[in-house]
Amino acid sequence: MQTTVKRTPLNSWHRNHGANMADFGGYDMPLWYSSVKDEHLAVLNGAGVFDTSHMAAVTVAGSGAADLLQYCFTNDLDACMGPSKKPLSQGRCVYGAFLDENGHTLDDAIVFFVEADSYMVVINAGMGGAVAEHLQRNLGGREAKVTDLSDRLGKMDIQGPAAAKILGAVLADPKAVFAGMPYFSFKGHVDATSPLADAVRLDDGTPILLSRTGYTGEFGFEIFLAPDKIQRLWERLLEAGRSNDITPCGLAARDSLRAGAVLPLSHQDIGHWPFINHPWPFALPFTADQTGFTKDFIGRAALEKQTDVFFTHAFAGKDLRKISAGEGSRVIDADGQAIGTVLTCATDMGIGRHDGDIFSVASPNKPEGFKAKGLCCGFVKVNRKLSVGQHVDIADNRRKITVTIVDDVRPHRTARKPMADMI
Amino acid sequence: MKAISELNLPEDVRYTDDHEWAKKIGDVVRMGISDYAQDQLGDIVFVELPEVGSSFDKGEEFGTVESVKAVSELYMPIGGEVTAINDALADAPELVNNDPYDGGWMMEIKASDPAEREALKSKADYLEILKG
Repeated sequence: MQTTVKRTPLNSWHRNHGANMADFGGYDMPLWYSSVKDEHLAVLNGAGVFDTSHMAAVTVAGSGAADLLQYCFTNDLDACMGPSKKPLSQGRCVYGAFLDENGHTLDDAIVFFVEADSYMVVINAGMGGAVAEHLQRNLGGREAKVTDLSDRLGKMDIQGPAAAKILGAVLADPKAVFAGMPYFSFKGHVDATSPLADAVRLDDGTPILLSRTGYTGEFGFEIFLAPDKIQRLWERLLEAGRSNDITPCGLAARDSLRAGAVLPLSHQDIGHWPFINHPWPFALPFTADQTGFTKDFIGRAALEKQTDVFFTHAFAGKDLRKISAGEGSRVIDADGQAIGTVLTCATDMGIGRHDGDIFSVASPNKPEGFKAKGLCCGFVKVNRKLSVGQHVDIADNRRKITVTIVDDVRPHRTARKPMADMI
Repeated sequence: MKAISELNLPEDVRYTDDHEWAKKIGDVVRMGISDYAQDQLGDIVFVELPEVGSSFDKGEEFGTVESVKAVSELYMPIGGEVTAINDALADAPELVNNDPYDGGWMMEIKASDPAEREALKSKADYLEILKG
């Protein structure tokens, strides 16, 4: 069956600006415009904008919506906010995954509590149909309506320390918008007829849903709006951000930034194996003592049984050289045993090692004369638990390099910085 | 990405199917990758070249060129002994992107069989490959 490649509303803009295009998730997307390295660094030093309209979203509405999501989504919506584990409240969002009965990942997602009995679930490109179907199939008599919003929303991300300054220049009331906007919160609505739409408007009146989230590990926002409004916003942000060296960024920089931020790529770092024993335990509803789960959800029994045991670990290399991840890759332990495969192997061009320690271009304590030459980083999936600091070799059919298991890669990331410091 | 008409494809070098160029300079043949190759690869961050003195056959893999995204093999455009490598690439791999035919040259080879260089493609033939 032949499927035509889809296009986002900004497709012509990308092509007119010389982007190197490729197919991603069925969409014709920009990999980079002129330089992945420059784009990656722009997000660490100033700001970058990303066309993310290829991502999918579904809404879940009705008196049974919360219950349906509690059953299908890994995170405990009644106990997921902050160290005191408060319930998800209006204007807050949370990361987790949708699993099948084997505990394998269907997709990861962010669930937004829009208003009473109304949620938006943002998932990966091309996954709208599958996730909507999954929710629909598990309704079990609950009162909830699931709507697939694929290709009906425009979305773009602005990420980097200057993101709020730049975005503020095009908002009607930036002071009000940025007040009380912690990490993983959101305001506004895409639908102009919703009373929530007044919370965030551009200075031309366009309503947007503004979320303090992203996929780079840096400070910034995801912006949802009507597709016919996105090009104007994109161009205005590029104009407003000139003095901050704002740069349009493609998927290659998006990938290297997320890898350095230890964020998983769906269907690559999470997938057809149990969603457990990985660097993202906050996505699972663990009890305080981490021995069990606080709620029932699809996949719970499989995760508890743990018949197929895999461990996913983040790693960082010695220098920027990497290997090709995927099927042909191997992870080899100190005894020469092949213990697994490499899921992701990327180069974070904003960091490097100095006397063994990792520094970023953004590190306040970086040594004098430090130049970030780039550092190989990613994830391995192995058949035994490894420890932070442990060395393993990773290899493809050409090259073998020694890497270190780590619990973090790029230091001094800005995602969680207080808003007051960023405006 | 560059349109074919925007590519820099000098007349005075010969090309391979693997998007490399080769140019006779006195006794040796100097080689590198074409403007098309560097444009497709994007930012090059590392070039792995063999030791001077090593020998390879035509078509044999001799090294790699690494971009931010991926690691790609490099193949000998002709067989022979490596007589020089471009040391500048160790500190400035971006020379391959910015100046692929001059400052970004990769290796010099003493050809084992002069006929192999004749078999390489002219600019016109290489353009035909790019046009698909």
